[in-house]
Amino acid sequence: MVAALALQGAAVSAQTKSQTGRDKGQYIPTIWVDPDGCEHWVMDDGVEGYMTPHTNRQGIPVCRRGNVCGVMQSDQFFATNSARVSKSGQQRLNEFFKSATATSFIITGHTDSRASDAYNMRLSLNRANSVAKVAKASGARIADVRGYGERQPAASNGSASGMAKNRRVEIICVR
Amino acid sequence: MNILKITALVGLATLVSACEDFQLRANGPDKSVDGGIDKKHLSQLEAGIWVDPNGCDHWIIDDGVEGYLSARLDKYGKPVCSGVAPPTHTVGDFKKGATSIIGDPI
Repeated sequence: MVAALALQGAAVSAQTKSQTGRDKGQYIPTIWVDPDGCEHWVMDDGVEGYMTPHTNRQGIPVCRRGNVCGVMQSDQFFATNSARVSKSGQQRLNEFFKSATATSFIITGHTDSRASDAYNMRLSLNRANSVAKVAKASGARIADVRGYGERQPAASNGSASGMAKNRRVEIICVR
Repeated sequence: MNILKITALVGLATLVSACEDFQLRANGPDKSVDGGIDKKHLSQLEAGIWVDPNGCDHWIIDDGVEGYLSARLDKYGKPVCSGVAPPTHTVGDFKKGATSIIGDPI
């Protein structure tokens, strides 16, 4: 209670000239959706405009759709614990990157939750790098390559099918 | 001296017209619409891309007397650095809200 009162006191003393207008210093924004489908807070204060990304408290943007344009199921491209792309896999990737119409690509590797976090971070980055290598050879521009290990699951690791879904390399098409 | 005076006058006129705009508008807490001659809800804004000196993308909008800039982020919250243009350059038609009357000079 004492703390709450102290905070209120601080809020009152924070009143400046900027809080004395007709809006009393209150700025209620609306949402603008960018061409990627992600939301931004936007405000028009007469002759000034303001905008900032709408993220959750973890800093993840709030998006109505994503721009993931390809998900490679790792089982079809890599042997267990390997980051080497099979010959047929390289061919498929080559075709994908040659036909995709993007400015550049972001490649992210992911694993299921078996083995250690550190091992999975390494394996997923190695796999993402292997994919990026094929992409570069096909003439694609790579904006970033990352390994997220088991930290960004797409499904529950509680079932075999869920784990298979989590073993993947995601390709984001930046247009 | 004359040039200085003219500059000062133009500056003053700009200031006055900005103030008029400020006073004509009901500047309540709702900041979700653009008033004036290019009246619209702010969800209608159209953006281009500005590449910052590090090579990362931002959405840029020149909407007459308002300018907007906001970071382009991927689904993981990381900056998108697409390489669509060299640092400090822009891509896309982001000045659709600007007119010959209310445009860049203000």
